[in-house]
Amino acid sequence: MKPEDLLHPLPTETPKLTLNCPLLDRLLRGGIPCGTITEIAAESGIGKTQISLQLLLAAQLPTSCGGLSASSLCLHSEFPFPFRRLHQLSLFYQSHIPNNALDRIFIQPLHSPDHLLDLLPRLDSIVSQLNIRLIVIDSIAALFRSEFDNTPLELKRRSSMFFKIASKLKSQAQKFGLAVVVTNQVMDVIESSGNLRIGNSGVLCSSGRRVCPALGLSWANCVNIRLFLWREEERVDEEGGDIRSMLTKRFIRVVFAPHLPDCSCEFVIKREGVFGVDR
Amino acid sequence: MEVSSLPISASQRGKLISAGYTSLSSLSSISPSHLAQDLKISENEALEILKVASRRSGLDRIDNGACAIVNGAQTAWDMLHEEESSVRITTSCSDLDDILGGGINCKEVTEVGGVPGIGKTQLGIQLAINVQIPADYGGLEGKAVYIDTEGSFMVERALQIAEACVEDMQEYNSFLRKDVRACQIRKEPKDFLDNIFYFRICSYTEQIAVVNYLEKFISEHKDVKVVVIDSITFHFRQDFEDMALRTRLLGGMALKLMKLAKKFNLAVVLLNQVTTKYSQGSFQLTLALGNLLQLRSGMMFFICLYLLWLFLK
Repeated sequence: MKPEDLLHPLPTETPKLTLNCPLLDRLLRGGIPCGTITEIAAESGIGKTQISLQLLLAAQLPTSCGGLSASSLCLHSEFPFPFRRLHQLSLFYQSHIPNNALDRIFIQPLHSPDHLLDLLPRLDSIVSQLNIRLIVIDSIAALFRSEFDNTPLELKRRSSMFFKIASKLKSQAQKFGLAVVVTNQVMDVIESSGNLRIGNSGVLCSSGRRVCPALGLSWANCVNIRLFLWREEERVDEEGGDIRSMLTKRFIRVVFAPHLPDCSCEFVIKREGVFGVDR
Repeated sequence: MEVSSLPISASQRGKLISAGYTSLSSLSSISPSHLAQDLKISENEALEILKVASRRSGLDRIDNGACAIVNGAQTAWDMLHEEESSVRITTSCSDLDDILGGGINCKEVTEVGGVPGIGKTQLGIQLAINVQIPADYGGLEGKAVYIDTEGSFMVERALQIAEACVEDMQEYNSFLRKDVRACQIRKEPKDFLDNIFYFRICSYTEQIAVVNYLEKFISEHKDVKVVVIDSITFHFRQDFEDMALRTRLLGGMALKLMKLAKKFNLAVVLLNQVTTKYSQGSFQLTLALGNLLQLRSGMMFFICLYLLWLFLK
């Protein structure tokens, strides 16, 4: 390796992976960029895993449709893996993906952060052999939640692991042109003072509670793009009287990204997948 | 005495010795105007004497090798004059430029730290574009080296910023009187991208290699006027088996960058992450690995973007 080899001519455009929805793609100016780590942070049940499954299938779409025409790999730490839902979704992609789409989605369960660290170097050969261009880690928070005590020394050790993992993932993303998507959970924020403002919004709310993405400032330094999904309950008045029902609305927002302005969009989860809603 | 051996007139020699200049080293770091005042001679005469002395001291160095000449010394007055007349790289934000005294200065290493998402990479890209502003518009007309350690550099964003810069220049042009308008060499946004040398590094060894290589690279591309490293500490925040090695590597890298800035008269901008430090009973934000990157000499500005965020809000 010579230093001259590290000088790259700038491309005209970064390759991106579509989310298979024009509105969501417009929010992300094309889709999930390759060569970077994109984090999707949300409460449970909002739709992180749904979006991940959608991406696993979208990676196989031809590049003319915004896909990467390649296989995808899902490293999951939350069990069980939603096989049935993935199968259901794949039926809607049959027009663009003629053969069985599930053949080109590879699943690997993760049990601990050390397991992930062991796995990452082995990915070099797996990625090139199987023509993988999307790696989804669902979720990074679940890996770390119960492993470390709340002492400064342990947290420091945890923090070093974040950087090791992120560094390895980014180097593979750069080398093989991979898109890396990581999902993260959120924590409730108790006190208002001392809360660090990270990115476009000072306060992130979901289901009426103040939250912030898990794993703290160190992990925030490791990702390139952070997307936040949240849920709001809206009161809907029925005509002619007191009957009211609650309507759940879901939103996605860019917390920080080098190439995206602060913007948000409403989305819904249908049988065919996750789609943006034009307001 | 060394001065007595100089090929100058006897009266000049006498004046030098009576004013206290007996050795060549005493003449090495004095300016002609000062010498002229001391000896009560014209400035041209003083300049001649100094030229002769420096020529002789050059020969002496080859002969003796143990010469005590201080090379490269400057008076504080010269340094102030130089700093005031140097062109700075604008950040395109007038408030930020005000804080920096006009913009990012060449011959200096500037470190910019902040939380994720506050705009460090944006500032880095902006500087890589703004360094290319032609001299007619008050810029440096230079090229940029962008060392990306995290993969945050997005071409689409750089193109957007370049387009805005071109628009800015056109607007500035329209304000000038017709006869003063700068030559219409219209720059395309894509031309800006061609002048950014983009290094993508994925490990700390690559980072050290590129920083070492920069001296050779910049001597081959003399028009590089800014080096942006985004971000300087990302690859060093992992566990190192040998922490002393990490300290040595970071210190060495900082020194090299300082020398680079001074030697080639360019600006080095280091973008850094922040971390929390527990001190005096509370958590405070601090620059990552700041104590290891501390440059013991030379000029440097620390800008904490957390404070800037409060300012710009």
